[in-house]
Amino acid sequence: MASVCIGNLVRNSAKVFRNSYITQVRTPYGLQIRCWNSTTPEPSSKPLTSVPASDTIKHEGSGNQLIKVSKAMKAYQEKAQALDALMFEKTTEYEIGRRHLANMMGEDPETFTDEDIDTAIEYLFPSGLFEPRARPLMKHPTEVFARKKVAEFDETGRPFHVLFYTGLPNYYQVLHDLSEKVRELDSFSDRMMQYNIHKDPERTLNVGGTEWVKKEQLEDILLEKLKDKQYEFFVRSMNRLLDHPFSYRVEEFIMKFRKHVQISVIHKEIPKLMFTAEGTPYMAAVGRRKTSTASVTVYGRGSGKISINGEDLLYFKYIQDREQVLFPLQFSGLLGKVDVVADVDGGGFSGQSGAIRYAISMAVRSFVDEQMMEKMRLAGLLTRDPRRHERKKPGWKGARAKYTWKKR
Amino acid sequence: MATLGKKLFILSVRMGRGLWHRGIVSSSNPVQSAVEPLEKLQESSSDAITEQMAKSLKYPDFFKVAELFTVEDLFNARVHLGHREGSLNDHMSQFIFGSRLSHLIFDLDQTATLLREALNFTAHIAFRGGIILFVGRIPQHQVMIENTAKECGEYAHTRYWQGGVLTNSTIQFGSVIRLPDLIIFLHTMNNVIYEHTAIRDAAKMLIPTVGIVDTNCNPNLITYPVPGNDDSAASISLFCNLFKAAILRGKEKRKELLGVH
Repeated sequence: MASVCIGNLVRNSAKVFRNSYITQVRTPYGLQIRCWNSTTPEPSSKPLTSVPASDTIKHEGSGNQLIKVSKAMKAYQEKAQALDALMFEKTTEYEIGRRHLANMMGEDPETFTDEDIDTAIEYLFPSGLFEPRARPLMKHPTEVFARKKVAEFDETGRPFHVLFYTGLPNYYQVLHDLSEKVRELDSFSDRMMQYNIHKDPERTLNVGGTEWVKKEQLEDILLEKLKDKQYEFFVRSMNRLLDHPFSYRVEEFIMKFRKHVQISVIHKEIPKLMFTAEGTPYMAAVGRRKTSTASVTVYGRGSGKISINGEDLLYFKYIQDREQVLFPLQFSGLLGKVDVVADVDGGGFSGQSGAIRYAISMAVRSFVDEQMMEKMRLAGLLTRDPRRHERKKPGWKGARAKYTWKKR
Repeated sequence: MATLGKKLFILSVRMGRGLWHRGIVSSSNPVQSAVEPLEKLQESSSDAITEQMAKSLKYPDFFKVAELFTVEDLFNARVHLGHREGSLNDHMSQFIFGSRLSHLIFDLDQTATLLREALNFTAHIAFRGGIILFVGRIPQHQVMIENTAKECGEYAHTRYWQGGVLTNSTIQFGSVIRLPDLIIFLHTMNNVIYEHTAIRDAAKMLIPTVGIVDTNCNPNLITYPVPGNDDSAASISLFCNLFKAAILRGKEKRKELLGVH
């Protein structure tokens, strides 16, 4: 069969070469194939299918098309100009406002920073509103007005970005760059393998304390709206790049899409130890639980003596309450090393013991290092128990309990 | 396969001496006259430009795209390798040379002819400042296609095709935009079963298309089908380079015509 085909080939080609003009070979499916061997310029024969679109650009019809496009471009330009004018106006207003504020506060207008503006506004317009975004604020226009994309095509209608027709050029550009970087790193690792160099643990990229930007933040960076699936794909792809042994070579690219995790725990200032006349260190603290209040002093260099309202630990009849009092000392290892003097009032035995426990924990913070303090926090010793007695409701047996429900 | 190459060589020797240079294997004489140089315009009057552009259509191969490749190049890039006999699309059987151990082989002479047409058309579109969109949906070649588009100053879409890109562009893009004047498909299929939506949409919007059609593809709606292998990186790379070269030739001529733009 192959030989027959070649035979046909030879025959057809020979036919073609004998006639040195354009040959039209008709196939069973009506497709016309032209052979390129003509030496004489001939007007092009009937086109195979539709008129090439390139011609229509110069035609009347497409002239309208050009006009349409330039209208869109014109609209774009007008919008961009309007935005520029607005931003200019707002920025000048902001600068003038800044100088006025500085004069009002008696500061030097030249060195009045944004933080100074915030404090000045807080002072001049004190707000009792809970939501920070509802309070009066004065920020630079670039922070207030969202950024928008500039014009995406020129006056002939040709877009600027290669991936314009995808609808999300910036997003897909990032994915494209990502693919290129993965290939770069793979080829680099291949070269390194030749010299038997594998992953270098010292040069591994450290992304501790950072995480991938959230979807909203990525949308702000790219100025494009994304679907959830697109964001998830982005994160998966970036993780693939991050997991590469030589990812430190593309640190800059990766860090563009990582942000530092904000530390949620607000470190309170731990009061420093005070000293008596004799020189023994001590710390005083107040603790509350239910309706009891306890004021406690913990003396260092002690022997484990506990005094509650002048009495021994046996002030509390029940073992649970005594354990509550001893727990913070036992947990921090100061059981036989400090003396405790406590005054407690209000409530019952459970509330009083809880109040003393909280007060001792807060006082012990000054005697103990940060690690132990963190452990105490995790153990729940440093949390003020906010539970209060809940009132009984009419028609209910208690605070929550209802009377027996009868169907009929 | 070696025998096929040998036979082609014998053919060429028979057909004419001194033809086995980078040229048209199946031509008797190389195109003799150099293409008439376009007159450089002092004032860019649109009538004169249109005249010059119409003149360019009188030549069968104005941009000499036939010089860009030979059948041997196609063979070396494995363009002739098709899929198995069972997956053959009936409309593609005209382009098949035969099969070997149930693997289909393309007729590279037909491919060469059709490819020259496609390249010629692409070059003309680029010459007239048309927007060319490269489309392909296979992930392995995505980056290559996007880079090709970048290097010749055109556009690429190798991602998920949103339905209204061509047919509902005003809503899709938020404003009136200029649609592509030519779409080049490096892969006509989205996956093994479904054709790319853009083929049908381009036909609806009267946008001409060039497409590399494999044995399992349907060439019907494509204006300039080029039968060939679309699965090997080598063949896709060759096609990308050829289209890029054709576009750059067209743009060069355009620059000459319009002066510095």
